[in-house]
Amino acid sequence: MSVKLVEREVLSPLGDKETKKQNLNPFPDDFETVALLDNTKPGADVILEILKDFLGKRKFLDVKKPAGAPATSEQLKKAAHSDLAILALGDCGSCTSWVVLDAIRLEYMGTPTISICSDDFIPFARELASSHGSNDLRMLEVQHPIAGLSHDEIEYKSLKIIPALRYLLQIP
Amino acid sequence: MAGKENKINFKNQTCGCLIDDLLRGEYCREKDDGENILINPEAEKISHQFYLRHLTDGLPIIPPTKERVLKFLENSNRKGDDLIAALPPRMGKATVEKIAVNAVMAGCLPAFMPVVENSINGLSMEWFNLAGLNATTHPVAICTIVNGPTIKEIGLNSGVGCLGPGSLANATIGRAIRLCMLNIAGAVPGVGDHATHGSPAKYSYSFAEAEEETPWGPLNVERGFKCNTVTLMGVEGPHNVNDHRSTTAEDLLDTIAHTASTAGCNNSHVPGEILVVMSPEHSWALEKQGWTKNDVKDYLHQNMTVPVQLGDRGGRKLDSKWDINGKVRITRSSEDVVLVVAGGPGRHTMIAPGFGAGSQSVTVPF
Repeated sequence: MSVKLVEREVLSPLGDKETKKQNLNPFPDDFETVALLDNTKPGADVILEILKDFLGKRKFLDVKKPAGAPATSEQLKKAAHSDLAILALGDCGSCTSWVVLDAIRLEYMGTPTISICSDDFIPFARELASSHGSNDLRMLEVQHPIAGLSHDEIEYKSLKIIPALRYLLQIP
Repeated sequence: MAGKENKINFKNQTCGCLIDDLLRGEYCREKDDGENILINPEAEKISHQFYLRHLTDGLPIIPPTKERVLKFLENSNRKGDDLIAALPPRMGKATVEKIAVNAVMAGCLPAFMPVVENSINGLSMEWFNLAGLNATTHPVAICTIVNGPTIKEIGLNSGVGCLGPGSLANATIGRAIRLCMLNIAGAVPGVGDHATHGSPAKYSYSFAEAEEETPWGPLNVERGFKCNTVTLMGVEGPHNVNDHRSTTAEDLLDTIAHTASTAGCNNSHVPGEILVVMSPEHSWALEKQGWTKNDVKDYLHQNMTVPVQLGDRGGRKLDSKWDINGKVRITRSSEDVVLVVAGGPGRHTMIAPGFGAGSQSVTVPF
């Protein structure tokens, strides 16, 4: 009788991914109230201030949220009382996580969002959003780094994202 | 014809290949019906293949064959396809089987499975903030502190060198949890784990409390349990506190407080938990002077402070509510001082700052 040596099968250690899909909320044709979520990362306030100037005479809700940790339900409820929520800043791993995840939570609550992350962390931000079924989560990327820069340097980088914001919101 | 028939009959009777047949190029056509002998795959080959597919921590692994994984599943109260949690950032499904596969790879023994799977369960608690911990640029690692009878049953080290090499259980339980982070959660450096430098503590960070040495009662009892527990904390690698000369409790605790009070830790701008692994000798010296565990925790809370102008340089803006006359306490309350006793002879204590307010420890009974 012949004998055949067969190696035992090895199992994959990779966890299967969840496959839920989340639809995003469309941007309104016109919007009056904008929530600005500042996670207190250095420069986040400057970026949001410049976007605020661009968006002009609208009502703004300023919301402070933790970096690297989830926004509280109160912070999210306040931000959800808006036609559009803009979150800044994802320029590190944990703060990017919770800019993206809080944006997704707001989308679940019915509020369209824009997340601002630095270009070093945008690939991760997109991968994370995709893992949560939000492949098309709206993001703007600002040139890394932001922390440690002067106000003028941050302003210079922030102005560069205005055309993309204008396009996203279809502002003539 | 007669010759051919003989040939066929001859092969049927032997069911194998003779050397003469092989030399003529006539192989036995019935060899596929022979017996398969299963052998373990070559460890070096599988280990390297897994490494090339970014499925390891860089160290060799034990090939996770089905047979090996089944032995681990026999040590679980759950079924293999039971879902413990979906782990961020990749949101991979941590089924019991996937956890077992990673535990095999880490070199665990099947008896370690309850500690590993309950650890993964604990990490999925919302307040632990695994999404933040896995992705952060901060070098936070997952520390596993085990209490209860299982310590002796599976040979966890709570004594000399408990945070270092030499114990199979300590080394492989922590490694199994890290492999679960890499392969299930997707916390691969540069992909889902963005720690600027990483940390040696991310290879393995698991130990047991020296329950028979502590003068104050162990952590599981402090947290309301009498059974086995695993406590998960997101903390930096440990930093030593060498104090051989203090003769008063205040002096000894001042040395610990001073070592812990550093501007660059997360706690300095977002106060939160800190891990204090006190040597038995230090704990006995404090207890001898009448200090309870709560006394020690409260003293450290009150005295672990950094100047506000130094503390407020972290990633997140320091909330002014933590400013007490120009100083910030690095813990929010004495409860944030997670104090355990472990280690061998010697007057040393280890401290490990946490992730700040962004993560809270979890204790899981089992």
